[in-house]
Amino acid sequence: MKFNTIIIGGGLAGLTAGLALLKAGQKVALVSDGQSALHFASDSFDLLGYDAQGQAVTNPLEAIAGLDATHPYSKVADVAGTAAQAQQLLAEAGVKTTGEAKANHYRLTPIGVVKPTWLTVDDFVTLDKPDTTPWKKVVVANIIGYLDFPTKFIVAGLRKLGVEVALKGFTTPELTEARKSPSEMRATNISHVLTDPAVIADVARQLSEISAGFDAVLLPAVISMKDDANAKLLKQQVKTPLYYVATLPPSIPGVRTQTLLRNRFIAQGGIFLTGDQATGGKIEGDTLKSITTAKLTDAELEADNFVLATGSFMAHGLMANYEKVYEPIMDLDVDYTGAHKDWSEYGVFNAQPYMQFGVATDAQLHVKKGGKVIKNCYAAGAILSGNNRVKMADGAGVDMLTALQAVKNILKK
Amino acid sequence: MATKTQLESKSVFNFEQCLKCSICTVYCPVVAVNPTYPGPKQAGPDGERYRLKGDIFFDENLKKCLNCKRCEVACPSNVNVGDIIQAARIQYSTHKPGLRDRILASTDFVGTMANRFAPIVNMTLAWGLTKSVMHGTLGVDKHRTFPAYSSKRFETWFKREAQAKQAQYSKQVSYFHGCYVNYNFPKLGQDFVKIMNAVGYGVQLLEKERCCGVAKIANGLYDQARKHANINTSSIRKAVKEEGRPVLTTSSTCTFTLRDEYSHLLGVDNTDVRDSITLATRFLYQLIEKGEIKLAFRPDYKRRIAYHSACHMERMGWIIYSTELLKMIPGIDFVMLESMCCGIAGTYGFKKENYPTSQKIGAPLFKQIKEAGVDCVATDCETCKWQIEMSTGVPVENPISIIADALDVEKTIALNS
Repeated sequence: MKFNTIIIGGGLAGLTAGLALLKAGQKVALVSDGQSALHFASDSFDLLGYDAQGQAVTNPLEAIAGLDATHPYSKVADVAGTAAQAQQLLAEAGVKTTGEAKANHYRLTPIGVVKPTWLTVDDFVTLDKPDTTPWKKVVVANIIGYLDFPTKFIVAGLRKLGVEVALKGFTTPELTEARKSPSEMRATNISHVLTDPAVIADVARQLSEISAGFDAVLLPAVISMKDDANAKLLKQQVKTPLYYVATLPPSIPGVRTQTLLRNRFIAQGGIFLTGDQATGGKIEGDTLKSITTAKLTDAELEADNFVLATGSFMAHGLMANYEKVYEPIMDLDVDYTGAHKDWSEYGVFNAQPYMQFGVATDAQLHVKKGGKVIKNCYAAGAILSGNNRVKMADGAGVDMLTALQAVKNILKK
Repeated sequence: MATKTQLESKSVFNFEQCLKCSICTVYCPVVAVNPTYPGPKQAGPDGERYRLKGDIFFDENLKKCLNCKRCEVACPSNVNVGDIIQAARIQYSTHKPGLRDRILASTDFVGTMANRFAPIVNMTLAWGLTKSVMHGTLGVDKHRTFPAYSSKRFETWFKREAQAKQAQYSKQVSYFHGCYVNYNFPKLGQDFVKIMNAVGYGVQLLEKERCCGVAKIANGLYDQARKHANINTSSIRKAVKEEGRPVLTTSSTCTFTLRDEYSHLLGVDNTDVRDSITLATRFLYQLIEKGEIKLAFRPDYKRRIAYHSACHMERMGWIIYSTELLKMIPGIDFVMLESMCCGIAGTYGFKKENYPTSQKIGAPLFKQIKEAGVDCVATDCETCKWQIEMSTGVPVENPISIIADALDVEKTIALNS
């Protein structure tokens, strides 16, 4: 099977590259081994939240210009333009966001902390400043029995900002029914119950009642897994301004983003190989000719170009044993230092050295094997080396911007 | 083992690969509509940790699993969640299959009997009274439309009309037709023979074919399923090893069962022949790609067709073969439906206690199909066909039948001789 470009990895980086290549008229296949980290994502996309010194960033574009040459952004030619392109690409798929690359706003995390971010999905809580809110008093409303929303943390976080907060619980007969399996009363399962217009209307009526006289009502993101229609419908029906707050995983805004991007990729003619795993690549000289997969055992997937967007350790884009850190598909060169004992630091919240590990790339994002550049295989996203996405809050930005840059490099040829 | 485990940081138990990320629960069609099912994470890897301590931890609610394997497709850590759940049912369940379960599982026995009296059986099964009686006494849901039985079995047709002509072809394949083709819908088998002959391949039946056993596994008749698996595997082995013929199928679920469930669930070793068992669309696509055969299509064939990804087809990762083959037909306006379970899961949806769950699971798919405005739906699974036709009124066809219909037979024969 022959394609213009084959992408390995079906998360934010892989799908971004796929959509941009389809837009350019390419024939594209994407190999996806299991669902992506978007399922654990928040309601926001970060570009750069903190600089190398750990200081909160107000203008990401300025701060990015001051990053080390090892950071993946150093390989993105036009950060401002590419960031705008990324926001546009999300919007075309139905992920409507607010925010801009030159000024971070602030999001409310599921544990009630305020953090700088680039884009936030529409109808979620956003703050212009880290220490003030536009409200005097708000209601935090949670569904009775739903445990992936630590309400006490949220309430404490909001009170720290000087807001008067009331915590209220509500339910409907249908939501009570969903509580029969307590371990499975998750945001995504609740969202199935909240597809019935009658149940949505019941919830809206109750939320209006309990929030009368308040400036806003905040609800965990438990509605609208496939698109934003039901979330909008509920918001319209509640009399008090309603905003959603991200929950612990599985994440509704994350699953929604994944679903909308994948559906658009398929609708635009992309071939999405679900649940298949790239197992190897045939490299001749400086060119990757084809890859093999676990399921298409006797077919070789050939392409002019390849994008490797397989993620980091959790997604198995990188693997480690007691002896080495390696890239499991083609054994590509990996940037890492020291022996096993040096890869992690004591204390889970300390900056972990392994977070910076990733495949080695040249300035055009080409991967390398045995020190030699492979001229038609590009890496994008979390598999790249040189940044700690937990400490710098730059994950989504690196995923989308390096993917779009890889596509530009492919199309320029 | 110790060194290997240490080096790969991998446990010998597959369930230990589970990171508790809960992505599987997002894609489980049952847990979405039935909160009494514990969900794939708890029923699979979480529960397995307890079950290893003792069988008192087994939960009969595991029978609510459809065995659709969508949890396995979604899992980013390669945990065989569905296999763990089914294997636990086989090992620990004390539930004895009742008469209804035995009837539903005996697709070949019931099929043989029904073929003899097909017109009467079909008419009787369509009566409201019969349906009510079956609903009340057996527990087969009265809302179901039964697949019609054919009055002439595929095997009978093949032996009378087709077998003698097969020897003329230098290249040969074996065909595992399955119960559906044999008892309900011989036309699919005839379509398959028509295409294979047109591209220069002769078709042979297996020495002995039994039901693949998927319905027996689902209904707890494991010994019978194992017996069938042994008979089928040795017939397949004979075709592959002695006669040098690959074994082709036209049903995604039969294929998946023959290839994977035999070894994963029933302990029947088929590793030596597994790679030679393949779906007809995959076989054809690969021959076309290698330039060994060519298909010519009628210029007047024009249809808008939506492809539905059957669960086991998705698990095999072979959807691309059927869809790319269909896209080769110039007159097809192709629509790819978002992949989701139709809810029937073989015999599951026929049971009255499962009927509402089954229809609730399928509802979003039915909505997609109704909105797609298509002439027909293409899918590689026969039970999806029953469910979608009954629930949407849109006709459903196997890709092989669509290709046979669109094929310019004369031209194809000329291209391949």
